[in-house]
Amino acid sequence: MLRREQNDLLTQTGPGTPGGAFFRSYWLPALLAEELPENECPPVRVKLLSERLLAFRDTQGRYGLIDEFCAHRGVSLWFGRNEENGLRCPYHGWKYDVTGQCIDVPSELPESGYCKRIKLKSYPLVERGGILWTYMGDAQKQPALPEYEVALVPPKQRFIAKRLQECNWLQALEGGIDSSHVSWLHRGELNSDPLFKGAKGNQYNLNDARPVFEVVESPGGLYIGARRNAENGHYYWRITPWVMPSFTMIPPRGNHPVHGHFWVPIDDHNCWTWSFDYHPQRALTQAEVQAMRDGKGIYVQFVPGSYRPLANKDNDYLMDRAAQRAGRTYSGVAGIAMQDASLQESMGPIVDRAKENLVSTDNGIIMARHRMLRAIKALTEQGVTPPGIEAAHQRVRSAAVVLPPDQPFTDGAKEALSVREGVAHATV
Amino acid sequence: MLSECARATTPDEARFRIDDANSAPRRIKIVALDQPAERVVRRLAAGRWNAATFITAAKPGAAPAKDWLADLAGHALDLLDQVSTADHVVTVSTAGERAEDAAILAEACTARRIMLTALVIDPTAIAEPQLLRTVAPLRAHASMLVVAKGEEYVEAMLTALRA
Repeated sequence: MLRREQNDLLTQTGPGTPGGAFFRSYWLPALLAEELPENECPPVRVKLLSERLLAFRDTQGRYGLIDEFCAHRGVSLWFGRNEENGLRCPYHGWKYDVTGQCIDVPSELPESGYCKRIKLKSYPLVERGGILWTYMGDAQKQPALPEYEVALVPPKQRFIAKRLQECNWLQALEGGIDSSHVSWLHRGELNSDPLFKGAKGNQYNLNDARPVFEVVESPGGLYIGARRNAENGHYYWRITPWVMPSFTMIPPRGNHPVHGHFWVPIDDHNCWTWSFDYHPQRALTQAEVQAMRDGKGIYVQFVPGSYRPLANKDNDYLMDRAAQRAGRTYSGVAGIAMQDASLQESMGPIVDRAKENLVSTDNGIIMARHRMLRAIKALTEQGVTPPGIEAAHQRVRSAAVVLPPDQPFTDGAKEALSVREGVAHATV
Repeated sequence: MLSECARATTPDEARFRIDDANSAPRRIKIVALDQPAERVVRRLAAGRWNAATFITAAKPGAAPAKDWLADLAGHALDLLDQVSTADHVVTVSTAGERAEDAAILAEACTARRIMLTALVIDPTAIAEPQLLRTVAPLRAHASMLVVAKGEEYVEAMLTALRA
């Protein structure tokens, strides 16, 4: 359980909140690069950390992320005209560049310099690895660009998507570091999903539904090791890294691409679940990419023209009780992503953690909360930069390995847990 | 008309969640395995807990025996009695300190099917061989092993478990 004030600290991420300041220390995924596909393309509404913003790409290909509303009369600039290196409000013609600087107020004489006095709040927006990243914190403290491996591999080796999740970001993140639910909620998919099936490690998962866990602090967050019995007294380890604030990677299965997530608050009741797959050594196959587009693995199918999952709360997630009874799915909801999201959304917009009853196997979640609360306190009281910003913190991997019983995963998988360029993941 | 799930997950609906207690406290025995850990456990014992009992196994030079455990006032406690009356056992140890004797406690937990969580405090991130000295005896028996940098995690974890 968490006390209510602790829950508030972690779940409230709007402007002026300690949790918001924490998130504003990091580069965050804001949009897919495909959402702004060409110069002077239509602008895109973006809501992040409870701020209404607008993203656009100007005539020269520069990206901008600015306050959504015109400084004149509060019109949404989503209606704006993206032309000649700026976004022009269609109401009275005020025009803004990618930094939010007003560059034209047609009703005023240019000589008055009035437009120079008008500037909308803006944040940097930078493409890296198919993602447009933004940094919403103090400009003086802007860190180097993210170094997560998924953003550094060639485009043919990765697949990235995002989906709307209609609950607080922390509920979604905590699902990502809760390894013990996989043997239950997703058990049907381990042997059937094209992006999971066929790995030897799946049998260890299915044969041992009561894994033993080890949680170890890492410089940027945590490593959560789940241990199951393998042959000859050895242990099969699945090791999940979590890097603050909200990056996790699922341990690999066989030679499948490795999967992972970022969870980014839209507001306190909604978040973006970013999902990615990549392979450090090879291009993804056509079949793999097609499976991802079809909503297999950790992906979903979308309501056309949106990033909202096709199975969503408005249609009861297409609950199929017959499939549940027959064991085709464990919860009755199809697909790994929506199996997770449906349950996390069912907790309500922000779950009251004062009522929960955690058990020992929830130590990954307990430790993650503890580390974030510590980081938020150090940031707000002493200005200490939180973990997870340095490149070395981000250059981590998940791993799946079989080790002798007396070898800790932090030793046996030490190299496997760091990015090694061009070297495949350690996997079973 | 709203679907069942859409209606049930609105912020308004959260107000109707039952506010009664939904669990009874578990009897959690927290056992310090070495002297630095005993200092941590003594400090925690001064706090308010639901059903936590703080115990030490940190008698210098003492070998595991029937009265190997003691309460914080120094009164000997029967190992099997303590394990048998626990719902959950949490050991607290310090990285680099010997923990071989903890295997006795761990085996008693295993025999009585009591879950054991082993917490190792490692403030200086000591070298792996030294850490192993503490961790290895616990690994075979603990259902959860946590290596935490700061001793404040012990309190955080016990609070989270409603100890």
